[in-house]
Amino acid sequence: MSALHAVWRRNISETLAGALPIVLALGIWYVISAWNFAPASLLPSPVTVFRRFLVLLGDPQFLQNAGATLYRLFVGFGIAVMLGIGIGILAAGNRTVAALMQPVIRVLAPVPKIALYPALVLMFGFDHSSKIALVVADALFPILLATYQGAVAVDPKLVWSARAAGASQTRCLFTIVLTAALPSILTGARIGLIIACIVVFLAEMILSTDGLGQLLVRAARNFQTVDMFVPIIAISMLGLLLNAAFNMLSKRLLVGFPSQN
Amino acid sequence: MARLNAIPGVPVLIACLAILLIWDLLSRVVMVSGLPPPWGALQEVPVILTDKESLVNILASLRRMSIGFSLAVAFAVPVGLLMGRSRLVAAFFNPLFMIIYPVPKAALMPIIMLWLGVGEMSKILVIFLGVSLPVIYHSYQGSKAVEEKMLWSAAAMGLGPMARLLRVVFPAALPEIMVGCRTGVVLALITMVTSEMIARQTGIGNIFFNALDMAQYDTVYAMIIVIGILGFLCDWGFEAVRRMLLGWAAPVHDIAVGSA
Repeated sequence: MSALHAVWRRNISETLAGALPIVLALGIWYVISAWNFAPASLLPSPVTVFRRFLVLLGDPQFLQNAGATLYRLFVGFGIAVMLGIGIGILAAGNRTVAALMQPVIRVLAPVPKIALYPALVLMFGFDHSSKIALVVADALFPILLATYQGAVAVDPKLVWSARAAGASQTRCLFTIVLTAALPSILTGARIGLIIACIVVFLAEMILSTDGLGQLLVRAARNFQTVDMFVPIIAISMLGLLLNAAFNMLSKRLLVGFPSQN
Repeated sequence: MARLNAIPGVPVLIACLAILLIWDLLSRVVMVSGLPPPWGALQEVPVILTDKESLVNILASLRRMSIGFSLAVAFAVPVGLLMGRSRLVAAFFNPLFMIIYPVPKAALMPIIMLWLGVGEMSKILVIFLGVSLPVIYHSYQGSKAVEEKMLWSAAAMGLGPMARLLRVVFPAALPEIMVGCRTGVVLALITMVTSEMIARQTGIGNIFFNALDMAQYDTVYAMIIVIGILGFLCDWGFEAVRRMLLGWAAPVHDIAVGSA
């Protein structure tokens, strides 16, 4: 009982320690603006920013821009997941495909994909498709690599048993390997999701006519500091929420798998 | 084919050729609009690399990148190591870093430019922010995994906590730290390119948009090739350094992936 109590107390003190820097940062931000250490045009008070955020959440124009961002994010991420898992499983199941893919991935993975964006705009225009293409290019690699590494690490005995029981090679790939590699795939997909979230915002900042990133650029041009903070907070919160939702989904999907940290 | 693949560098060359061929096919056969054949862009690469102004721009960008990267490593490695060895320090920083993680660092550029001006400082700061988190994360993981027995032995032989951190934890965590640095150096390049594309005043981003505005599409594609080669070289160079320093550790087959 007392041991449990000690664990409890430690958990509380650790939670407090974790809350400290966040509270501290917000406090410093508040003090700087409230005591006029910095002019409000450079650093608006956190209260003003959050109030503006709440107001904009009810503003149809803001929601429309946020909707455009979300649409690009999810379509791009969905395509990246399908391509990444497909190619990854294929490469794990076929040695020729793996030998062909590996050097190409080795060359392309460390390339800053954002540099492709001007070319993607030239090819696909200003609309959704150029941003979606960039999201795919950026989110694809973590998913593809995680799928491949997870699929290669699957215990061959599982596949042998299924083969002995009469399953075809393709059937094995999709029912055994894909399922057994699920924890790794989900980790890759979670990283890809956050990357997609960040990249869609950056693309909208660089060249776009709408979206949350464009709102930030527009506010910066008009020197509206409060409106510059709001899109950044919105996209960061979106990232946190998506991350949390994805973790919950993973837990649901991975019931029965050995837990991993 | 298998023998060819065994020679170092050959698979990479084949991969590059394959990428160029696919590019050529896309531009000629599928006729993707706005995509010229790669050969014009390739011819433009030496023109960019010998042009004095763009060379100065690129070198200035690389200088900012290396300063930001070095500062981030100098800050992130000690923080990560401390987090790995002390529960309290880890509990202190973890939630903060979790919140910072999904923030697009390069998107902070306009705000930071508002505070620090358009000079070097703001660009270096953004790169610093972009690189710090993955290096902290990997140092943290590396330092957490250090075997307790080594620390006990060191303590028994009279090493103080600081000396233990420096002489036991740091070398033991070095392979993992290097993984973080490798991700970090690619991220430094990505953040540098992104922030300059957003700020559009100097450096690589400037060349990009000048060419785009003047409809010199070959230059745009040539810049993509130059940045791509830079990314590959950063990654490859770091892998070489890692192999030299840490021949004793098991190689980590971790292809660097990252985003600003």
